[in-house]
Amino acid sequence: MNCARHTQAIQDQIDGTLGAIRKAELQQHLDQCPACRALLADLQRIRDLAGTLDRPAPPVGVWLQVAGRLRQEGRVQAPPPVERARRSHVALLAIAAGLIVAVGASLMLLVPLLRGDGAQPPAEQAAAGDNAAGGESVQSIEDHFRLAEQHMQTGIAKLEETAKAGETVIDVQTAAMLKKNLELIDQAIAESRAALKAEPQSTVARDSLFNALRRKVALLQDTVALMNEMRKGNAAGAAQVIEGVDKS
Amino acid sequence: MRTSKMTVLPAVRGAASAGRQDELALIGRCREGDLGAFEELYRTHAGRLYSVALRLVGNPADAEDLLQEIFLAAHRKLDTFRGESSLGTWLYRLATNLCLDHLRSRTGRSRHVTDSIDDEPGLFDVATSSLAEQTVTRMDLERALARLPEGCRSAFVLHDVEGLEHREVAEILGVAEGTSKSQVHKARLKLRKMLGSQEKERR
Repeated sequence: MNCARHTQAIQDQIDGTLGAIRKAELQQHLDQCPACRALLADLQRIRDLAGTLDRPAPPVGVWLQVAGRLRQEGRVQAPPPVERARRSHVALLAIAAGLIVAVGASLMLLVPLLRGDGAQPPAEQAAAGDNAAGGESVQSIEDHFRLAEQHMQTGIAKLEETAKAGETVIDVQTAAMLKKNLELIDQAIAESRAALKAEPQSTVARDSLFNALRRKVALLQDTVALMNEMRKGNAAGAAQVIEGVDKS
Repeated sequence: MRTSKMTVLPAVRGAASAGRQDELALIGRCREGDLGAFEELYRTHAGRLYSVALRLVGNPADAEDLLQEIFLAAHRKLDTFRGESSLGTWLYRLATNLCLDHLRSRTGRSRHVTDSIDDEPGLFDVATSSLAEQTVTRMDLERALARLPEGCRSAFVLHDVEGLEHREVAEILGVAEGTSKSQVHKARLKLRKMLGSQEKERR
């Protein structure tokens, strides 16, 4: 039996391109040749199975990276987020702009205090003098901090509300992530405060409170950065900030 | 007979022509720097290009990087798109070339799509058993596919997995149509051998 002569016909049969005459010839051969019947069945099975393999979805961040690179290289027009956005997105950007001003102003006072080098803002230095106690520093930081915190809480609530209304998945996820991080940090702050109240002279408790406050300020700064990137329409930049927050 | 995903049937030629006009209009907007238009192009083609990249390079992290490179390269080269082939075929070619370049740089040695057929399995290596009667799963096939030589793997992925015609596969890989057919056949024979051996081990 000359099986090799029918190899091409078997391939064409599987590809669905075999003509009627050659098909009849092949069938004649197959009727007498179990090996070729098995070959055809197996190759057909492979072909059929291959056509049912899943098409995995591309990772969601890739488009953000591509868009970011294109903007960076100046190969696309300035992004028109407001033109393209739905109403909810416009509202989000308005909240973002408000947050940048409100939280940012409070942070300008807080950041030097929380750098860990003992530096104080000029107003605090004047009020506290050179012999300011550690407890007073914590208190003054907390006063400033409360203001920023209020803006942050309001902003996050509005972000969540707007994101839910707009059904923009990434915004919902971002808001949820910020909220989760905030809750964890708040828990640490509450625990540190309780410890400091029980032992006002404890340096461990004071350091712990400072650390928790620093973490919260870092989160606030990330939020401001995120708002900024969104306001600029820089999806890649926003993604980078979100990634940073997620890892923190 | 399975219809090619890229085949244009006469009955839908009119609709395809309108689709072609839309495609050219979209490309025009992309060339003008319209990011929204390019996002539309991305959403239309990213799925199948990621799927090809993942099966050619074999790991998700590399496939993700390559997907980004594919679309950045596509944006850079859109001016060279003459419309002689469909945008889908043009993107497949770009993607396949980038993936094969990546594989070659990774292995540090050059291999051409027309691999030597010295190691081609015999037609009847597993003639006594039929895969159709066995429980070969898609997972089994994915594993075996990853072990194919890159030349016949590209042709197999484009033809049997993605459903392109040999004419299109040949255009994408820059080979003759006959080479596409022989590479796909070679891949199927190798897969048959691998899957058959696996079945024997299970028994």
